Order: sequence, then structure tokens, then C-alpha cells
Amino acid sequence: MKGIYTPVTKIRRQIFQEIAKLAFEGGDYSRIEDIPYKIIPGEIATYRDSVFKERAIVGERLRLACGLDVRPADKHAPISQGIEESAIDELVYEPPLVNVIPFACEACPPKQYYVTDNCRGCLAHPCVSVCPVKAVSLKDGKSHIDKDKCIKCGRCAESCPYNAIVKFERPCAASCGVDAIESDYLGRAKINYDKCVSCGQCLVNCPFSAIADKSQIFQLVHALKEGKEIIAEIAPSFVGQFGPLATPQRVKDALIQLGFSDVYEVAIGADLGAIAEAEHYVHGLSEEQPFMATSCCPSWSVMAKKFFPEIAHCVSTELTPMVATARIIKKEHPNARVVFIGPCASKKLEALRRTVRSDVDFVITYEELMGIFAAKEIDFGQIEDAPEMEDATGGGRGYGVAGGVAGAIEAVIRERYPDVEVKIDRAEGLFDCRKMLTLAKAGKRKGYILEGMACPGGCIGGAGTIEPIKKAAAAVKKFADEAEHHVATGSDYIGELPEEHEHK
Amino acid sequence: MKKVNVEVCVCTQCVLNGAMHIIESIESLKKLKVQLRLNTQVNITTCTNLVEGTHPDISPVVRINGDLIENADSETVMERIIAMGLPAKS
Repeated sequence: MKGIYTPVTKIRRQIFQEIAKLAFEGGDYSRIEDIPYKIIPGEIATYRDSVFKERAIVGERLRLACGLDVRPADKHAPISQGIEESAIDELVYEPPLVNVIPFACEACPPKQYYVTDNCRGCLAHPCVSVCPVKAVSLKDGKSHIDKDKCIKCGRCAESCPYNAIVKFERPCAASCGVDAIESDYLGRAKINYDKCVSCGQCLVNCPFSAIADKSQIFQLVHALKEGKEIIAEIAPSFVGQFGPLATPQRVKDALIQLGFSDVYEVAIGADLGAIAEAEHYVHGLSEEQPFMATSCCPSWSVMAKKFFPEIAHCVSTELTPMVATARIIKKEHPNARVVFIGPCASKKLEALRRTVRSDVDFVITYEELMGIFAAKEIDFGQIEDAPEMEDATGGGRGYGVAGGVAGAIEAVIRERYPDVEVKIDRAEGLFDCRKMLTLAKAGKRKGYILEGMACPGGCIGGAGTIEPIKKAAAAVKKFADEAEHHVATGSDYIGELPEEHEHK
Repeated sequence: MKKVNVEVCVCTQCVLNGAMHIIESIESLKKLKVQLRLNTQVNITTCTNLVEGTHPDISPVVRINGDLIENADSETVMERIIAMGLPAKS
């Protein structure tokens, strides 16, 4: 579904734009009560059983976009409850980040196999022969699956010559690589936060738009209105996200029009991370640390810590590109506030970690930023003489695409240590990341760099992206090729690295 | 071979409202040439001057051979292009 513009996408983006507009206009914020009527006009429901319910759901989404909590259906409370208190120029956040709006959830049944009308009750009925638990039988001339016996192995579906047996899955659970989607007493999706690593895939994969994450746009717009020094750091996957007119240089100019005083590429921090991790790979592996896992994707590294505590110490402890870049910015501009702009839901939580909280002040996604651009009517076509972007190397700029992180590290090793053999394994999507770590835990990835990316395609497949993955990958590659230096070691910021990462 | 000129507005509002997906869906028609019996050359251009000024209420906008479509979506645009490419009924 990702990459297809559906009514779900439409509503999500309308909400970002309306909240940004509300914040820019200021005044009495009880006006938020009117927005559901704008987004869901008329008297006739379009997607659900009643127009009142559609508006109520939009109302909860509006609250989440303001950073407020979602309320259950049994609490009477206006949408605007708490909005005046949240209309401030600093972060408002109460966990959890990713929320199911319970009354928006259709309570799709959990994973199961069932027989459709395609079944012709054939003489061969291989479905029966392949079932290891005798759950399939012919009943009234059709194949029948006994749900109590079925172990959901899928063999019957594979064997059917008519494709008559189908797998049914809840899209949220199917997209969750850590099995964090459970059910509440009404069969509605409920997130197990002990397992959830906030990758955000469920929120883009729910066809009923019942899941949303909290946004910081409302507070960010207030901070921009204050006119204080605010600097944007924009993740490597940003290229191509804002439409064909929005060249990287024009995006920088557009951000300055919004009120940012400067824009840094997060690829700067990625360059430094690639060098540090290359040095670590060459010098730091040992019996205790037989492989090195990359550290840049927060959902991946949190997943490793939660599900594979025995090997969690093998995840690199180098600063993530977001944090490394933020620290450079704060060193150069001690009074500035830093806004990370990226594709990622999970970075919103990374920025709240105790050690990071003072470095990154806000985190917003490309989709949320596009809502702000639209609210401010920023037109990329009108931008001439956009400022240059000469911050980072091709290595760091490639970090947003699967394979780019390990590729950048490998390029550094090839340059500095041409005789060292580099072994790489990588995975994208948390299912495959878990498989890779299972192999590593079994001792089968000794001497490897393991690149883990929680989202399909890498960061360009993140929950907060706008462009289809393939086009985004091409745009990121083009911008990486345009960099003056192609290996991370060409970074202008190499002096920021601690001594132990210098070439030995 | 017939020619269909499709102009897609890619202003900020139209990109937010799905213009890029409309372009994807037009490009995807190439893969269906056989099924659709299309003998059409589809030219896609992107621009921001299909209508004057900002246009939040009619976004996204697309123009096909001079006809403006307001509040365009991928299914309508694909249908219109295919209708133009088919041989005229006699």
C-alpha cells in the first residue's frame, strides 16, 4: 500500500496541514473543533458507518498531531481539551508514541487460512494430503479447515491448484516485524509496548487509518513563530521527497523561508559514523564482540537490545548520524535549537533518550514538513538562486537507502585498509533483521558488518516518507554522486572525530 | 499513433495531495499496452501554472490534451487517457 495515494494518505496529510495552519494563525485554538467538519464535509459517511464516527476519528488524529493523548470512546471530552497548554514552543510528549485509536479499529480477525469460493472440491484435493495436523477435510463437496487444529503453516494454500485457499492477516500485524500487535477485549488491535520498537510500519499499513503517531508540528510552528535561532538537520533520505521541483538546494531555501536559520545535512554525522564504524570493525572485533552491527537505525538497535540481549553489545555504540550532526550544530551554535527532519517515527523516541535530549529539540517527518510547507504556501517553483549544499560526502548521503550504510563503511575500509577483507550481511524490514540476528547469535556471522534497517528499502521506506521507494532511491543516489567527495573520509568535519578513530 | 499530452501540477499542495502518485499511475499504463490495445504516445510534463495562484480547493489538478481536471485522482486520469487513446467508435 505504501507509495499509493489513498484516502488514508489524504486524511493524514490534511491533518498535518491543518494543524500547521492553525498554529501559524494562532489565536483561539478551540477552532480545532471545526477542522473535522472541513476534512469530513457533508452529512453522508464515506468510509464508515456514520459521519459522526468519521469526524470523531479525525478529532483523535488531530489531537495526536498536536502531541496530545488519544481518548477512549467512553470519555466525554472536547478535541480541544489540553490544546492551549500544548500550544508552546517546546516539546510536548507523553508516551506512547504510536497509538491505536480504538474506535477507529475494525477489529480485523487475526491471521488465518480460509477456503474461498474458488474451491471446486476436486478429486485430487491435495490440501488434505499436505496438512500435517489433519485440519483439512472435504465437507459438503468443499475443502474445510478446522480452525482449532490449524497451525497456519500455509501448506494447503500452496498446494491448491485453484488458489482457493487464502491467508488472511491483519495488515498492522503483518507489517509488524516484532509481533507487537495484540488484541483488546473487543478484538481490536492493541500494541504491546514491551515489544514495540516504534518503527511506524503499522500506522502506514492500517487500511482504516486507525493507528497514528504523535507529532511535534504544533509546537515546532510555535517555536518558528518565536523567531529564535532554530537549525534544521535533514536526513540523507530527504532527496526527492518533496516533488520534482524541490531540489535539495531549494528544500534548504524553503526551510529558511519557514524560519530556520540554517540547514545541515545529517549525512555529515553519517560520514563520521561510517569512519568510526570502519575503524571499529578493523580494530575492535574480538572473541567477545565477534561482529559489528550498525547503530544508525533506532528501531533496529532497540530491537536488537530487546530481543537479543546476549549479542546487544555487538551493536556499535557510535553516535547515530542524527546525534553526531546535532552535536556539531550545537558546538557551532550553542544557543540554537535543533530540529531533526527525517523519514522516521522511531527517531522521535531516540531524541528523547536521556543522553540525546539536550542535543535534539524536535523531530518531524518529511510528510509532516510537507504539511507545514503547504500551510505556509511555499512554492518550490518560485525559488531561484537556492543556496548550495556542500556539507557531506557521497558516503553519508547514501545512508538512507538499504545497503548504503554498510557500503559507506566498506568504502572507508577499502581506502584506509585495502588488505582487510570485509564481510557484509544486511537486512531490511524487522522480520529479516531478526532472522539475521538469529544467525549471528548462533555464531554464524563472525567477522561481519551487519547492516540493519527496520523499514523496507531502508530509510526511504520509512513511515514519514512521501515518495515511492524506487524513485526515492534514484534521487538519493543522484545527490550522493553529486558530492565532491565520494568516500566518507573526504568529510570537512573529520576533525570532529575523537582521536581513537584516526587512521592508525 | 495518437498523442496524449498530460500536464500534472506539481506545486506543493498538489504534491501533498498525491500528484506524484498520479504520475506513477500514468507511467504504469505503459506496462498494460497489450491488455489495453493502446496505440498512444503519452507525454507527461510537470508544471505549476495550470491554474493561477494557489488552489487548495481543487488540488490536485491535471490537464489532458487541454482539458483541466480538478481534484484529480489516479483512476480518473488513467481512464481519461485510455479513452483518448482508443480508436474512435464507428
